[in-house]
Amino acid sequence: MAVDTRIDPYLVPALDGVAYGLLVFVAAAGLVLCFGVAGILNLAHGTLYAIGGYTAAALLDGGWSSLLLALAVGTVAATAAGALVAGLLTRVAARSHLTQALLTFGLALVGGSLLVAAFGPDDPPVRVPAALDGSVAVAGHRYAAYRLVFIVVAAVLAGLLHVAVRRTRAGMLVRAAVDDAEMVAVLGVNPAWIRLGVLAAAGALAGAAGVLGAPIIGPGPDTADAVLLLSLVVVVLGGLGSMGGTLLAALAVGQIQTLGVALAPSAAPFLLFAAMAAVLAVRARGLATARRAS
Amino acid sequence: MSETMPRRSRARTAALLAVVLLAATACADGGRGAGTAGSIKIGLLASLSGTYQAVGKEIRAGFELYLATHDGKLGGRQVELVVADEGNGAATAVPAATKLLKQDRVAALTGIVGGGSVAGVYPLLNETKVPFVGSNGRPELKDVSRIWHTSYLSDEPGEAIARHVRDNVKGSVYAIGPDYQGGWDELRGFTDAFVKEGGELANPGGRTTFTPFPTTTNFTPYFARIKASGADAVYTFYAGSAAVDFVKQYAQSEISDLPLYAAGFLTEGGVLDAQGEAARDVYSVLNYSPDLDNAENRAFVAAWRAKNDGSPTTYAMASYDAAAVLDRAIAAAGDDPSPQSINAAIGQLGQIASPRGTWQFSPTTHAPVQKWYLRQVRQDGRALSNTVVGDLATVGG
Repeated sequence: MAVDTRIDPYLVPALDGVAYGLLVFVAAAGLVLCFGVAGILNLAHGTLYAIGGYTAAALLDGGWSSLLLALAVGTVAATAAGALVAGLLTRVAARSHLTQALLTFGLALVGGSLLVAAFGPDDPPVRVPAALDGSVAVAGHRYAAYRLVFIVVAAVLAGLLHVAVRRTRAGMLVRAAVDDAEMVAVLGVNPAWIRLGVLAAAGALAGAAGVLGAPIIGPGPDTADAVLLLSLVVVVLGGLGSMGGTLLAALAVGQIQTLGVALAPSAAPFLLFAAMAAVLAVRARGLATARRAS
Repeated sequence: MSETMPRRSRARTAALLAVVLLAATACADGGRGAGTAGSIKIGLLASLSGTYQAVGKEIRAGFELYLATHDGKLGGRQVELVVADEGNGAATAVPAATKLLKQDRVAALTGIVGGGSVAGVYPLLNETKVPFVGSNGRPELKDVSRIWHTSYLSDEPGEAIARHVRDNVKGSVYAIGPDYQGGWDELRGFTDAFVKEGGELANPGGRTTFTPFPTTTNFTPYFARIKASGADAVYTFYAGSAAVDFVKQYAQSEISDLPLYAAGFLTEGGVLDAQGEAARDVYSVLNYSPDLDNAENRAFVAAWRAKNDGSPTTYAMASYDAAAVLDRAIAAAGDDPSPQSINAAIGQLGQIASPRGTWQFSPTTHAPVQKWYLRQVRQDGRALSNTVVGDLATVGG
């Protein structure tokens, strides 16, 4: 075999780290938008992902059309839930992050209970399209076909997100609102609408991630907490408001969770948080230097 | 009116109240567990909410099924079943058990999903001297004189399958499991017996790999290590959502062609539906399978399917057996069964006929001496199901 035998065992974990990292990116991007732009700490973000996941479990039947249907339904449902969060937050939008955190955490608890009441306490099965329900050979190793395709899809999503934030008028307004919300208001754009739009968009991203990521981080009673935790770590590592920093942080989290565990299994329980502590200690603003006027 | 009530009348009212109260307390003191005439109070504590609610509901359903198929009676007495929610662990289990034992004053307690909950409730049982017929979790306990279990000890599944794995795997076996007390016990049971039988572990240094629990959801890096170790088979124990993740990812991993052996919980109950095709061919060891061919099991499975969806699990079966144990013990405890006489009667039961086959309590551990079965996930009609493919060792005691 051409590949060095010392590197060979780590190829699959490294590849898997990319898939995992991109999933975390799509899931966390919404939280970064929320926190960085609307200034809202939405602790119900993981629940929005879980909505997408449960939708996937309920609708997927092994065909391509069901995947499209689940993606549409899951995204719309999570978008609506995101807008609902924005509506409930209207009265406390000016308050401190603690108030928002309490309100959204309460929503997360209610949402989690409703999901369990609707879908049961077990982890529901998720059926991916039959054509992807197998493994393919990658450099002499077997790897899940769905995850390989997911890498491509998530990379496209990340690219689209970048274009949306950088090149569209909506993206410019959002970035402008980060820098100076009052100036945007003077321009005749209501910041409340930007907040609603951002939370709805964050819901859409989380919902889409939930549907597409269901075969990787599946729906269940613990899903919302797990996704929220990973997203918060990415937010801390990535520096707020920067999509590039978020992508870098998410890919790093993916590698820490896969390659890191393969290299140092005994350190697995605290690798992620050790990395977070190290980054915070060295550079308080995160991996990427986000320029954010406050 | 009350202001103008004559003094004598008020005194009479007070006296009447006092008599009623006295009578009520006298009744309460009249006997622990005694309900209305000829009936008996049994407490069932299980996780009806939280992480383990799937198991807790099976346990409740199993006990209720026994009652429903026996005219609601245990030992000839009408049963007043008091159900309480164990929640996620000792923090919620202890207050619930306190209510059952001190307020409802049940004659015997059953159920309890988590080993930690049993350990938390244990001092209360000693204080109230009420027998406990547990149907799942079993921690390490010093004095089991009033503690009985119809389930198993955590290290027994691995112990029961070790010889079979050594005989059928040509080469070394990689042992991996979750990093908590239950995982340590399950894996130690296997590795100790396996090495003693002359088996070879593929793990570096012969040390079992433990994955962080419950945080591990992606097992790919561990599969890469198993591949690198050159193992010829894998032995594992996971339950709940970790079992789903492990099995689904295993089937698509680069070690999917290695035979997977596991403690039965890996593919038991609801998790098997979630795993779907990925679980096909997985071998597991358990004390029960719904397709066991004996009269008790046929009756049990038929009654279960009439009331519930799907097949019964080992959790439901153990709780059904807990009711059977209490049924016989209460009948043997005399005209006025007390917690003490019921406890003494449980110790004298001998062989117990059960859907799992005949078993008996070990005199030392008070857990079953029972036969373990090798099962494989196979097609059964339209669904995949755990099918018994052979008998393994009889373990316990």
